Amino acid sequence: MTHKYYEFFCPVKVIAGKSALEHIPYELTGLAAKRPMIVTDKGVRAAGLLDPVIAACEESGLEIVTIYDDVPPDSSTTVVRDIAGIYRQEKCDSIIAVGGGSAIDTGKAVNILVSEGGDDIAKYSGAGVIKHPLKPFFVVPTTAGTGSEVTAVAVITDETKGVKLPFTSSFLLPNAAIIDPRMTLTLPPHITAATAMDAMTHAVEAFTCMAKNPLSDAYATAAVKKVSQSLLSVMDNPKDVDGRLEIAQASTMAGIAFSNSMVGLVHALGHATGAICHLPHGLCMSLYLPYVLEYNLETIREPLGDLLLPLEGPEVFSATPAARRAEASISALRKLRDQLHKRCQLPRTLKETGKVTEDQLDQIAEMALDDGAIMFNPKEVSLDDARAVLQRAWA
Amino acid sequence: MLAKRIQPMVSQARSLYVELMFQVMGRALQAVSEVDDAVKKETQALPAGFLFEMMVMPDGPRLIVEHTGLGRLHYHGDSAPRPVDLSIQFKHIAHAFLVLSFQEKTAVAFANDRMLVDGDISYAVRMTRILNRLESFILPRLIAERAVKEYPSDLHLPQKLISAVRIYLKVATNFVETVRA
Repeated sequence: MTHKYYEFFCPVKVIAGKSALEHIPYELTGLAAKRPMIVTDKGVRAAGLLDPVIAACEESGLEIVTIYDDVPPDSSTTVVRDIAGIYRQEKCDSIIAVGGGSAIDTGKAVNILVSEGGDDIAKYSGAGVIKHPLKPFFVVPTTAGTGSEVTAVAVITDETKGVKLPFTSSFLLPNAAIIDPRMTLTLPPHITAATAMDAMTHAVEAFTCMAKNPLSDAYATAAVKKVSQSLLSVMDNPKDVDGRLEIAQASTMAGIAFSNSMVGLVHALGHATGAICHLPHGLCMSLYLPYVLEYNLETIREPLGDLLLPLEGPEVFSATPAARRAEASISALRKLRDQLHKRCQLPRTLKETGKVTEDQLDQIAEMALDDGAIMFNPKEVSLDDARAVLQRAWA
Repeated sequence: MLAKRIQPMVSQARSLYVELMFQVMGRALQAVSEVDDAVKKETQALPAGFLFEMMVMPDGPRLIVEHTGLGRLHYHGDSAPRPVDLSIQFKHIAHAFLVLSFQEKTAVAFANDRMLVDGDISYAVRMTRILNRLESFILPRLIAERAVKEYPSDLHLPQKLISAVRIYLKVATNFVETVRA
């Protein structure tokens, strides 16, 4: 009898491709929503990314009732309460989050308040607290990496207590994720690179960590293939619409994969580095990925070897002896990082970031050891192990 | 037909086994925090008065331990003096049995969604490390390797034997004291 067991869940309707934004009015109407509110940030608005969303709705006679465009990079309980107040005042009936991780997480949290009631979002913190479906909620990602549009998690900072509050519930998942290449067309090169490497790391960790399963594997390998095939061509030609769509889809697919199979040591180290040194998440992922794979190598040799096919294609895969494929996969990722460094100076080591000092490594290691992601790393990690990986990633 | 008759007995035996294992583990957690410096160090990061619960949903067997300070854990049995700070909850008695009979590693059980964490995840990670360390001490290596992700390479036989004897003695003493009380 098999001892294997897994769970897989993703009820998000993915609406992807050319003119995807123009599907928003129809989809909202299908959920009986007529008064949507947009939650976004100033950068998105300044980049003109709201214009096609608003135009798409107005052309179908759907009025965007109100727009909140002041979501900060680290959203807080106060911001969530304020937005919920505007939502109620304007008698909205649905939310469209347009932006990156922060705007999406804020949209999720606002949806909790306006659906469940009250002004204190903190009381809904934790896993499984929310017991009912929430208001119609759509997500339009403007970066291609976080996968937040298909994850059942939101993180909001409680300013008064100085802690980050996690919210976990399948009801946080949006009704639809709208993946339109127009939304990522103007992403600057270094953000394109870092966020795509975030998606790559989601996929690689989903495929090699403990909760991997056949369904998440399928999404993960497809995501790895799309990032490998399209990232460098998008870096060379940022207006490549097809390439942009491939990366955006890869991000969503990697999001589906990792939200069903979790991630491991790369994320544990990345979360700690982000908290201590304030490095962007995608950059941390790109930076640590090969070093962690080397650390895990003997535990993940087989799945990592399998990733050579989506990473390098059938010719390289078949020409590489099976026993060498895992190392070849790591080399392929290193090669990709070198190419990104050449094109936009995306750092490959902690030293190259210029924002981390060597004496911070111990603190990062200690914090990483208590990160939830470490639980799903295929190999046990001690404090000394974490220190050793950080030392290798240093320079 | 026979299987149908046996099933309630199997369920009851499984439930009794889980209950007994929780009682042993709770006492052993208290003991290992008195015996092992690494566990003491791990525990010290928890706030004094921190209450940890491991239980089977919805209202099955449970163990509750408290960090009383200075890295020491105290076993409270199956009732908490106040609301717990961290609860690791098995979704079903069958899942608890899989883990406590060492058919499924704790980390695998987490990966397989057999358990829920209610509370601070970083404390849950720390408590899992403490449980792993305990299992490495008190179980024969062959069984411990089935229970933990990786058997500690620095845990050698003499240290293991001495610590295990001390832990089991403390567990037995605690059992006797409980019966007498």
